Amino acid sequence: MIPNRILAVFLTTILLPGHLLAESTATPSPSNEEIQQQLLGMQKALQDQQTRHQAELDALKKQIADQQTVIDSMKPASPDSPAQPPPTPSKAATPDLSPAFPTTDPSLVPEAKAVPPPGKQPPSAPATAGAAFPTTDPSIVTDGPASGPSAGLLPSPGLLGGGAAKGSYLNISFDAVIAGAASTDPNLSSLEVGDHDPQQRGFNARNVELALDGAVDPFFEGFANIVFKLDNNNQTQVEVEEAFGQTTDLPFGFQAKAGQFFTQFGRINPTHPHTWDFVDAPLVQGLLLGPDGLRGVGAQLAWVIPLPFYAQAILALQNGQGGTGYSFRNPGDTGTFFDRSTINRQTDGLSDLVITPRLEASVDLTSTQTLLGGVSAAFGPNDTGYTSSTQIYGADLFYKWKPSNAEGGWPYVKWQSEAMVRRFEAGQGLNNTFAIAETFHDWGAYSQVVWGFYKGWAAGLRGDYMHMQTSDVTNDPQRQSRSRVSTDLTWYLSEFSKFRLQYNYDRLQSNAFLPSRDENSLFLMYELALGAHGAHKF
Amino acid sequence: MKPSIAILLTVLAAVTGTARAKLNVVATLADYAAIAREIGGDHVDITSMAKPTEDPHFVDARPSFVVKLRSADILIEGGAELEVGWLPPLLQNARNPKLDTGAIGRVQASEGIRLLDVPATLSRAAGDVHASGNPHFMVDPIIAKAVAAHIARAFSAADPANASTYTANNKKFEATIDAKLQEWGKALLPFRGQHLAAYHDDWLYFAHRFGFEVDVFLEPKPGVPPSPSHLAEVIGKIKAEKIKAILVEPYHNRKIATKVASSTGAHVVDAAQYPDGLPNTATYVELIDMLVTRLTTALKN
Repeated sequence: MIPNRILAVFLTTILLPGHLLAESTATPSPSNEEIQQQLLGMQKALQDQQTRHQAELDALKKQIADQQTVIDSMKPASPDSPAQPPPTPSKAATPDLSPAFPTTDPSLVPEAKAVPPPGKQPPSAPATAGAAFPTTDPSIVTDGPASGPSAGLLPSPGLLGGGAAKGSYLNISFDAVIAGAASTDPNLSSLEVGDHDPQQRGFNARNVELALDGAVDPFFEGFANIVFKLDNNNQTQVEVEEAFGQTTDLPFGFQAKAGQFFTQFGRINPTHPHTWDFVDAPLVQGLLLGPDGLRGVGAQLAWVIPLPFYAQAILALQNGQGGTGYSFRNPGDTGTFFDRSTINRQTDGLSDLVITPRLEASVDLTSTQTLLGGVSAAFGPNDTGYTSSTQIYGADLFYKWKPSNAEGGWPYVKWQSEAMVRRFEAGQGLNNTFAIAETFHDWGAYSQVVWGFYKGWAAGLRGDYMHMQTSDVTNDPQRQSRSRVSTDLTWYLSEFSKFRLQYNYDRLQSNAFLPSRDENSLFLMYELALGAHGAHKF
Repeated sequence: MKPSIAILLTVLAAVTGTARAKLNVVATLADYAAIAREIGGDHVDITSMAKPTEDPHFVDARPSFVVKLRSADILIEGGAELEVGWLPPLLQNARNPKLDTGAIGRVQASEGIRLLDVPATLSRAAGDVHASGNPHFMVDPIIAKAVAAHIARAFSAADPANASTYTANNKKFEATIDAKLQEWGKALLPFRGQHLAAYHDDWLYFAHRFGFEVDVFLEPKPGVPPSPSHLAEVIGKIKAEKIKAILVEPYHNRKIATKVASSTGAHVVDAAQYPDGLPNTATYVELIDMLVTRLTTALKN
């Protein structure tokens, strides 16, 4: 076929000048005219043949291309032939540049892409009554990547939660925080206020968590965070830290959630320790909201307010019982709280639950600077008296700068501060056995700056203060006013692992029962994450 | 009094009417936004979340994006894991059913595109790999045409009144790219088969289209910063393969590339994957024009 074509081109090339010459000749003799006629006839025949051949060639090329597409889509790319390169995107597909640069490439953009999207029109019925009913429908079965050569190559990331682009039923991820600790305080648990903070000298693995999430159905998505904690005796403790469902499709910007979840109070409380910028929890977080953070079984309604800037209102209702409702209906580890024998107060009505309203708003100061602030409150009864209650108020502010040519998220500056006030009515305990009732006004704040100065590296500085109202009768070691300065350096080896070195200077002030003391601590933390690619909240 | 109220109502209706008539489009990245602008023209309002000069893998999930997504009719995203680190929490907070996966308003640009470099095995030991293939596909103009057609279909479905305009604009874009491809192909023809170096492995679609081999990377593995030992190896390879150009993007560490260039004689080519990532490249065609110009200049030397 091709030699024919070349011949045709060749002959045409030779004959064409003659033809032009003949035409331009002014006075042709009859014999000349005859020859000219013959030549013109031959030329026309050749041109016709050439056109026909070209058409045949094009048809054959198209046929080959179509067959190749079919072969490609059928080729299973089976694991027993791993040496075989993916059929379509081979180097050979680099186009031949003459005569015209190709403007389509079915190896990357399958033809099926051009058909109207599924659902827009029903599968077409046979055009004539006698024709066979169509057995394929390219408008629905597109030759996309899911059915292309890549399908079947991977070890089902969808099921294993490997973060497959096309989603999965269940995303699984695993995160472990291991921290080595040295301190001048032999009893680190009296110094560190968070349950997942290092609690002893030597090694700590107090936050090994399994996180699960996925779409439940078209209406809900589900989350679970199961934390395994090795305590100071290396006993494994399991916490269902979070397990909740939340709506995806409520109208008008509403979202409801129910289950066990962290209360949206401030910035630190609703987040997991491995996302923090320091090894340990701020003092106000551990001492006012509790070592485990404020969380519990309950329900929450959130509403993104339709304003030109971001604003969200959140209202949660939770049981607030036990250690995770620390300042509320918490019986205390030894049946005492602030020296009172606690009362196991029952749930008799809505007023026995913890109610947490929050309002947050954010604006972009410039295209590289963002401010996010919020106010929160938590109201509920506590177990130190039959009618005693607790109110906690908080305000938080977060600022971030990141330049417009950031690489991998670096460099950046984050500034985060939170302040909290707690009014705690300490009653007279079980059967009014404690001498007096007191009302504590405790308050505190922290402020931290983190500077991501070079890709993968960040340095932080944090100041902490906690004021506990003095009491002449309550001898609880937690009621000591104190301050702390922390500085740390973090090295992110990748998105999935990091090292952090942190130094803490603690100063505890004397009160009626306890002397003042200064302590120094050093932590070296390693964190690793496996599984689904976590997304970063702002 | 009554006429003035009528006028007021008319004006209000006109204002809200036109406001409603405009499609609200949010694009995750500047390349989708640029193409959406070509297709949508005056009938759409377009916001791009990632800046054209920033690393698209790491964009802050700023709350202001929630506000944009909340009122969006259309979201254009890659859908090939590039935005996996920041888009999901935004969508969770936006709670906009129009943008649900599978809805008319959710355009996944990679849909129907066969991605290159799909990893044979999934392991993060290989660095920042993407399970569904290399997601930096928009620098191939043929793929850009497919994405433009996809966007035009989505716009037409969401706004049938202007469907003919979107279809016409898409035809126009297609014709422009077809014509431009001849030009670009001709300009790069003398350099076919040449090897190039790049900071990050995101030029393979461009290379595949125009017949280059981009096979030396300053990053030892995708997303891992260059180490001295790896750079020594890179310098050796650049010399051995007589590589003349090192492609660097606005968010990469240019100093490192300059160092490699000065010790090998190769040229640093300031490139970008996103319109407006380089000066005077507001449109997709201008961007590819610029890339072709800069590349030919570097390779001619």
